[in-house]
Amino acid sequence: MAVPERNAVKHRLDRPGLGLGLGLRNCHFEHIVSNWPEIDWFEAISENFMDSGGRPRWIINQVAERYPVVLHGVSMSIGSTDPLNFSYLSKLKALAKEVNAAWVSDHLCWTGVMGINSHDLLPVPLTEEALQHISARVLQVQDYLEQPLVLENPSTYISFSDSQMSEPEFLTELVNLTGCRLLLDVNNVFVSCFNSDTDPQAYLDAFPYDSVVQLHLAGHQDCGTHIIDTHDGPVRQEVWELFRQVWARCNGVATLLEWDGNIPAFDACHAELLKARNYMEAGHIQTADPRPQPESTGSISNPVDFLVPQVMDSSVMEHR
Amino acid sequence: MSNQATSLQTIQRWMQDALMFPGQTSGESTTGLINPSSRQTAEQRLAVYQRSYYLRLQKCMREQFPALCHALGEQLFNDFSSDYLQSKPSVSHTLYELGQRFPDHLEQTRPDAGEKPEQREQWIDFMVDLARFEYQVFSLFDAPGHEGKPFAAHNTADEILQLQPCFALGDYRFPVAWYYHQVRQENQPKIPAMQRSLIALLRKDFLTHTFQVSFTEYQFLSLLSQGSSVESALQRVAEQTELPVEQLRDSWSSREGARARWIDAGFFIAGS
Repeated sequence: MAVPERNAVKHRLDRPGLGLGLGLRNCHFEHIVSNWPEIDWFEAISENFMDSGGRPRWIINQVAERYPVVLHGVSMSIGSTDPLNFSYLSKLKALAKEVNAAWVSDHLCWTGVMGINSHDLLPVPLTEEALQHISARVLQVQDYLEQPLVLENPSTYISFSDSQMSEPEFLTELVNLTGCRLLLDVNNVFVSCFNSDTDPQAYLDAFPYDSVVQLHLAGHQDCGTHIIDTHDGPVRQEVWELFRQVWARCNGVATLLEWDGNIPAFDACHAELLKARNYMEAGHIQTADPRPQPESTGSISNPVDFLVPQVMDSSVMEHR
Repeated sequence: MSNQATSLQTIQRWMQDALMFPGQTSGESTTGLINPSSRQTAEQRLAVYQRSYYLRLQKCMREQFPALCHALGEQLFNDFSSDYLQSKPSVSHTLYELGQRFPDHLEQTRPDAGEKPEQREQWIDFMVDLARFEYQVFSLFDAPGHEGKPFAAHNTADEILQLQPCFALGDYRFPVAWYYHQVRQENQPKIPAMQRSLIALLRKDFLTHTFQVSFTEYQFLSLLSQGSSVESALQRVAEQTELPVEQLRDSWSSREGARARWIDAGFFIAGS
């Protein structure tokens, strides 16, 4: 397994950013195929389409004929101590080829061990052992997929006492060891730093921007003692301010809004995404609102129910 | 936990157990592995993951079994699905398979499992059948189908008629399809009395259609789904039902017969 030299990798990842994109969600399918909205690109959850023989597969193929598509996974489990799932990777590779995916991303996390999938994005201890383990797996995945893997900083609610480095340090080393690229989720930086009493500014100052190919934006819920990455509302002002800094450092990489709970109409999601333009201009500084009062204590981290289609709506009882 | 660094594998096994069996996690192990924050203890931080684990997956189960959730009520449905998720956690990369083993789990864990079949609670039979039907409908939603390709036409010869790929048959003890569609129409159906219900399910134009079929039709379609030709299936059904094969042929091919109705409905494609 060769470590790709960054400058030698002539991959589509090196092309300019895709612009402003949205997640491809079941509840927006009808709107998208009826209107073909003016949007730069879509990000599709890999697992929602890789096994599909029904409408989701038809939709993503239609979308891929008209827009750039990026595949974003939640089950690669790159940090797990279980063996890599090559059946899964095979389906992922086939889907990436079918939709001509601009790149394939997943999270710096594990989702389960001993064959179980928790369907959560669980944090890895930031240790030398984990770094060596994960970098070896990233190399295997990249060899198999024949392209660099893009990994996202997850939202986290705990930090391990065994951790030996910060997340930016871990990701920097991972990039050096594997040539992988990064998806910087700005909301996750805010969430994880709040939850671990660390400084988001220091996090951003230490991040390896040269490897970033994509940014994520999303809303979160403030539970008072902690913040949960719920993806169920508009982007918070504090996160927009971080985005402004990140954008200036990333030189125009693809930017995507995730909205996965209480998903509003497509146009409302798109309008929220386009707010990003307000923070792309140098010198545009908006004063952050004071931290709002906590509004929720019952939120669910990493919502996944949006991944399950409303099948009942597509069912008909015949009387002939 | 000792003061030495804990291996990645040990941490992951410990954390997964902590999610699935939250009551069995010792405070000592938690404080040994997880740092507190200025606002939360180590246990409180871990609890964010523990609480979300079941809530998140229960929500997905409610999406996969909306009619069963309606029949049981959300609280009882959540209790059953928690028991299921603890006993049979997901082993798939896709949430689409989350509920795959739920109907069998309900059957295996029913409180009257030790009773003779005739002495068992009928409402449990209904719940098991409804769960089976709902997962069947859910599976057909995204199974390989025939959209975008031509279906059989009225002039397609019997010799090359084949059931389309996104097709299934169901044999239930209750009219579960009726109940499901009552819930879909936002009615408040009562649990129906036991009455055998034979159905054919298929997907056409990305809509899943449910058809009530007679026992004879069910036998005929079963044979076709096993690869029999139309003529051979008609003869086998005649043998099984002791009906004259001519009568069955007429039911099949008359102007208002099953052949015409089913071709119009998208049961068949033209094979080679």
